[in-house]
Formats: sequence, structure tokens, C-alpha cells
Amino acid sequence: MIEFVNGTLALFGDPTAVMIFGFGLIGGMLFGAIPGVNMLTLGAVLLPFTINMAPNHAVMLFSVIYCAGVFGGAITAILFNIPGAPENAPTCFDGYPMTVQGKSGKAIGAAVSCSAIGGVASAVVMMAATPLIAGWAVRAFGPQEIFALIFFGLAVSASVGAETLWKGWLSVFAGLLIATIGTDPVGGVPRFNGGSVMGFEFSSYYLSAGIHFIPMILGFFAVSEVFVQAMSIAEGKRKRPKASLEFPSLVEFWSVRFTMLRSMVLGFFAGILPGIGATLAAFLGYSQAVRWSKTPERFGKGELAGVVASETANNSATGAAMIPLLALGLPGGALTAMIMGIFQIHGMEPGPLIFINSSDLVWVTFAAMFWANLCIVFLGWLQTKTVVHILNVPFRWLAPGILLLATIGAFALRNLTIDVWVMFLAGAIGFFLRRTGYSAAGIVLGLILGKLGESAFAKSMQLMDYDVFGFFSRPIAAFLLIAALLTVASSIWNEVRGRELQKALID
Amino acid sequence: MINKTKACGLAIGALLFSATSHGLSASELPEKPAGFGLRPLTMIVPFGAGGGSDQLARSMAKAMEEVAGLNFQVVNKPGGGGTAAIPDFMLSPADGYTVMEHIDNAISAYAKGDIRENPAEDWTPLCMTQITFSQIYIRGDEDRFTDWNSFLAFVKANPGQASMANLGKVGSMELVVMSQLQNALGVKVKQIAFDKPAERYGALIGGHVDVLFEQPGDVRSFLDSGQMKPILTFLDERPEVFADTPTHKEVGADFEALTRFRGFYVKRDVPKDRTEFLAAACKAGFETEGFQAFNEKKFMNLINSYRDTEGSVKLINDAVQTYQAVYKELGIGK
Repeated sequence: MIEFVNGTLALFGDPTAVMIFGFGLIGGMLFGAIPGVNMLTLGAVLLPFTINMAPNHAVMLFSVIYCAGVFGGAITAILFNIPGAPENAPTCFDGYPMTVQGKSGKAIGAAVSCSAIGGVASAVVMMAATPLIAGWAVRAFGPQEIFALIFFGLAVSASVGAETLWKGWLSVFAGLLIATIGTDPVGGVPRFNGGSVMGFEFSSYYLSAGIHFIPMILGFFAVSEVFVQAMSIAEGKRKRPKASLEFPSLVEFWSVRFTMLRSMVLGFFAGILPGIGATLAAFLGYSQAVRWSKTPERFGKGELAGVVASETANNSATGAAMIPLLALGLPGGALTAMIMGIFQIHGMEPGPLIFINSSDLVWVTFAAMFWANLCIVFLGWLQTKTVVHILNVPFRWLAPGILLLATIGAFALRNLTIDVWVMFLAGAIGFFLRRTGYSAAGIVLGLILGKLGESAFAKSMQLMDYDVFGFFSRPIAAFLLIAALLTVASSIWNEVRGRELQKALID
Repeated sequence: MINKTKACGLAIGALLFSATSHGLSASELPEKPAGFGLRPLTMIVPFGAGGGSDQLARSMAKAMEEVAGLNFQVVNKPGGGGTAAIPDFMLSPADGYTVMEHIDNAISAYAKGDIRENPAEDWTPLCMTQITFSQIYIRGDEDRFTDWNSFLAFVKANPGQASMANLGKVGSMELVVMSQLQNALGVKVKQIAFDKPAERYGALIGGHVDVLFEQPGDVRSFLDSGQMKPILTFLDERPEVFADTPTHKEVGADFEALTRFRGFYVKRDVPKDRTEFLAAACKAGFETEGFQAFNEKKFMNLINSYRDTEGSVKLINDAVQTYQAVYKELGIGK
């Protein structure tokens, strides 16, 4: 505690530090909010400048950018169905429908508060127990447990946003199929990267690299939404969404308390484990919110808990990602790798000794992350009161802007033009999916969980000498897998029984 | 004033450089070809931001900006183990304004038939700026074995049990070196494919695998903190830093171990004066103090890490031959 106070004093007692703190906060939020650039872009630009900065300033700057950047992308996700960054993608699922229903203020308010709550909670755990937790988590969660966790997430994906359970499962399986396009994660075997169509031979490096989920999300959500809105304008049925400034009430927050807690825990684990991070945290948080909800059918149609689940989880992952970095020197993602680079530039090595050798610096970082998350509440409140007014712009002017932002977002991912074509194709497909009761969210969940899940499954099988039952000899993995299987079984049982009930009522 | 410091940096860089390699003199840049370098050049990195290739590309771009007055825009085009960026590179005009960083993955991919472009012929290598060797690592607090001999005894005592975190791509430098080692010594270590570096390191530190295959620069922080230690070096002689670690030749495996190398390429049809200018800029950039410090931090100063165009072509052609021979032996590729 005394270290935290000292860290805070060191942070705010130094005018330069305060300026850097403010810069990181606003910069991270802006870069997170604009599709096409993200906090990594900002980080890569700033990295060379950190050489001449004091080490505590440099590390503090990057940890603040990290916190703010993960939140920033929620705003465009909610207002325009464009996730500013991958980790905000599940926020679209329910955030945008809320905007359409004139509840944008509530959605943004929930995103802001939950980001802050998730971030603060993980910062607190980080301060309390970094060295302990890091060692334990990395030992306890091997590829088997990670696979089980992802499988648990997949088990409920079918109930997101589809008309019936069967259409939901078909959507998820379509996503899993798309995930298999490209180079496989084990042997590097190319899959579906070439062939012949009506005598025309083709092979493609692009397909070898795989379909990335970002152009798919932008297409399914942003582009197809423009089509849908355009159609309703043409039919003269469109009503402009109300730009509401209403914050969620305390009662509403209280009603999602368990979702919040669950997402905190999930986000925390996803953040700690190397190679998983904030994106999976958001997806897992979302799918588990569906799993435990009493009204899972409302998800994907503007359920507040959906926004809460995704935004709490991704910010909770930020603090957690610092744990393996500081305690073990294991960066889980690209931005934490940059922070590691800063430590090294200044002649320090993250790892078990850093708490002894550079404890001041560690505590300034902790304090900065804690306060950055609190500042998100205030900045987010300001944003809610201002940004929402964009919705008053007539859609015929807004639409080109949305398409432009989406195009930039798709291109900037890998600087590949073909990603833009994939996005527009996905937009066209998404348009028809939505009219036929299939779930775009289900496809995206299948795609992202499928890729990560396959990689974890392959590693597990290699480690267990290809014995599937090996999963059940590990308690955590066994528990998660059995829970997932029960979830699938009960959802099918409910669907079948529900049909019979309906039939009985009609008869 | 600026010129003075630059010259000073160059001189120190050259000094440092001649101390670590074979006495190359400080290079003089040829005159910038007329009409070249007026707008920023594009540097394609076929891997993600923040990784080893990205850090190298940004460091070299900075060094070349310093010595040759060129401006670079670094763009990352990750995917497909470095192959997704190649079509864009091939589509760019051959005017010298597009430079691509690439690693030895491109060479093994070509040898295997995964890509059509021959890095030594369809591209012109400007220079290689990082060449390094591989090692096998164990946890710092490992008590079942402490060095190569005790690890070998462990492998023999527990057949089919010992596992190694490695890259999985069939025909990769990592797997080729390991299969050569296993064939030579007649042992078998389970190779577990981890596609992300952090997962590989986490798997070793978390105890999910027994050993790790990696290059020293990538795990330097773990070595310095004592979380990992090397038990075998894949090199002909022991480098001074790892004087206590035996080489693969010493433990009875007689093969030329493949190295990891990273360098810079332009397309073959780029005008010769521009290619030569860029190659000279790369050499001068390599010799800057800043770049030397960068390479030293990455343990890239342990063996001669620089090749010019000619040397790079030889390095690539030798590697292609080795890969093709091994692939034939192992029955992979085309």
C-alpha cells in the first residue's frame, strides 16, 4: 500500500510525468478509436523516442496507452458497428443494436464504466499478487487447459444472434470452416490455398495466410449495416436512431453484477496466459455472459450485459498482461513486447528480479495503470456527452464515412488490398445472412475461437501422444470440457423441448 | 555540427565493427543516383509489429536515414509465416522505392516449393545484417538434468517422453536442425509446435515441455535473469559468451548447422545504380554506432553478422542446397 502511495506521488508530483500521462491517455484513446490505426501504431511511432526518456516515464507512457487504447475502440463499435480494434469486436454484437434502439448513451456509458471497473480490478490484483499469480498461472494452464477454455467458449456461441439453435450452430460451423483456410498451425501445411475451379487453376499466397477476422467483422457488421440502412431508406421505413445521452442507472449496473465479475475473472486469465490476450478475453467474456444469462435469446439484439461482458473482460486483460511481463519477462502480445523493449533499452530486464532491482519503476507503472483506468471514466463521460451527437448527421452523409473508415480499417490490418475485397464480399454475404436468420456473430466467434482452439488442440495432442482422453486426466481441463459438453447438451434439450411445447400449445 | 557527429558515429561504428568482424573499412557511399530518394521509400516487413524482424527493420531504416538521407515508411504485412507479403512486394514497381526485409524462412520456403520466387535470383539481396545460431535451453531451476549429457541420459531413460518446444512448419530451419541432430545421435525428442514465441517460452518456464529450441538473442532476457540456460550450441566452435556450453559437433553430431539470417531485398529489375546505392547505404547503416549497439543487444555480434550482396547470394545458395539435400533425405517438399 505504501508503495502504491509512493508510486502515485512520484507520478503526480512530477509535472513532466503528468504531461506524459495525459498524452498517453488521450493518444491511446484516439488511436484505439480510429479504425485502421491502433495503439500498436502509436507504440511503434513512439518507441524510438523512449530512448531519451527517463525509464519510468517511458514505461508509464506505454502502460497508459495500453489501458486507454483497449477502451477507445468501443465507441466506434457502438455508434457505427465498426470495432476500433479487434478486442472491441464483441462490443458490436450488442452495442450497435442498442444504438439503433436509441440507447447509445447507455451502451457507451456501460462500456466506459465497465472498462474502468475491469481495468481497476485487474490493476489491484496486479499490485497485490503479481509474482505469486504469474508463476502459478503459467504452470497451471498448459495448452490442454487453454483448449478447454476455448471449447467452453465455443459451446455457447451458437446461441448468439441466430433465429434458431440450428441456424446458430450452422453459423458457428461456417466460421470454424473459414478458420481452417490458410497455413495450419502445426506442420505449416497449406489448406484451401489453391485448386481448380471449372478448369481454371489458382493458387494464392493470400489464402495461405488465412482469412483474418477483422475484414470479416467490418464486412458483416459495418458494410452490411450500411446496406440494410440504405434499403430501409429506399423503402421509406428508416427512423433515425435517437442520440440519447442517458447513462445506465445504478439498478441496471446492479443487474449485470455477475456478468461483470465473470468477465473480470475470464479477462484476467486470458490476459495472464501468453499468446491469448485482450481479444480472446472479450470473446470469452461475451460467450460466457450468454451461457449464464436467463435470457440468452436477447443477446445480439441489444442486451446491455453483452456490452458489459466484452468491455469488462478486455480491460481486465490489460492489467493481467503486465503480470507475466513483469514477473517472468514473458510478453503476451505486441504492445507488452514493446514495453519489454523499453525495459531493455534502459538496461533493465523484466523478470523475477525486477521487483527487487527496480521496485520504484514497477510501482509507478502500477499506479499509472490504476489512475489511467479511473481517468477513462471521466474521459468516457465527456465522450458520451459529445460523440453521440454524430448520430444526428443524416445517414446519407454518414454512410460514406462509415464505408471509408471500414475500408481503411480493413486495409491497414496488413496493408493488403485484398483484405478490402474480402470485407466487401463479407458485407454482401452478411446482408443476406441477416435476412435469413443466420448469425454473423456466430460466424465471427467460430472463426476466431476456431483458429486459437485448433492451435491449442494440436499442441495438446502432441504433448499427450495423441490420446484424446488425456484431457480428462487434468482437473481444470476436464472440468471445463465437461461443463462445455453439458452446456451443448442442455441447449439442444431446451431447443427440442421448446419446439414440443410450442407444438403442444398450437394443438 | 550534424555532419561532424555523424562522421564521429561512423568512425566509432567502424571501429566497433572492425573489432568484431573481419576488418571491413568504413564504407564510402556512392553518389545518390539522380532522381532517387526524393520521396519516402517503403520497407515491407513480412511479420508483425514489435517482433524481431520488425525491430531489425526499424533499426536499419533509422540507420539508413542517418547515413544516406533516405526516408523510410515501415509497413508490416504479417501472415503465412512471412509469405503473405511477397505478392505485394512482387507487384510493386521495380524502381528501388520498395525494400523488403525477409528471413531465412523465404529460403526454406523456396527450397520446398512453397513460393516460386528464388530469393537469390528473383530478388537482389542488398545485405544480410543479422546472422545467428541456435541453441537448446532448459529451465534455470531444472533438477532432472543440468547439462547436455544428463539431458541425453534423461531422454534415453524415458523413451518417447522428453518434449521440446519448437516451431512446427515442416522443413523449417528449426525442424531440419533437430532432425539432423536426432538422426546423428539416434535419439528421439518429441517436437511440440508452438507458433507464437511467447507461448514457446511460457511452455518451457511453465514446465509444459522439457527443453526449448531458440536463438540466443530472442531469449537473452531469460538467460540474463537465470530463468533459462543453454545446454547445446549449434555452431562449429563455442562462442566466447557460451564457453561452457558444448557444440553439436563436440557431442558427436557432424553436420553443418543451418543459421538464422535476416536481410534486405529489392526486386531484380531495379536499376543497378539504385541497387548499389541502397546496398552501400545498408553497409554504412550496419556500421553505425546505433545499429551496432542494437545488434549487440540481440547477441548478433557473436558471429560475423554482415554479408554484402555477393556474400548474401552465396549464403542463400548454400542454404538452398542444404535444405534441398535434407528435404530429399527426409522425403519432404517437391
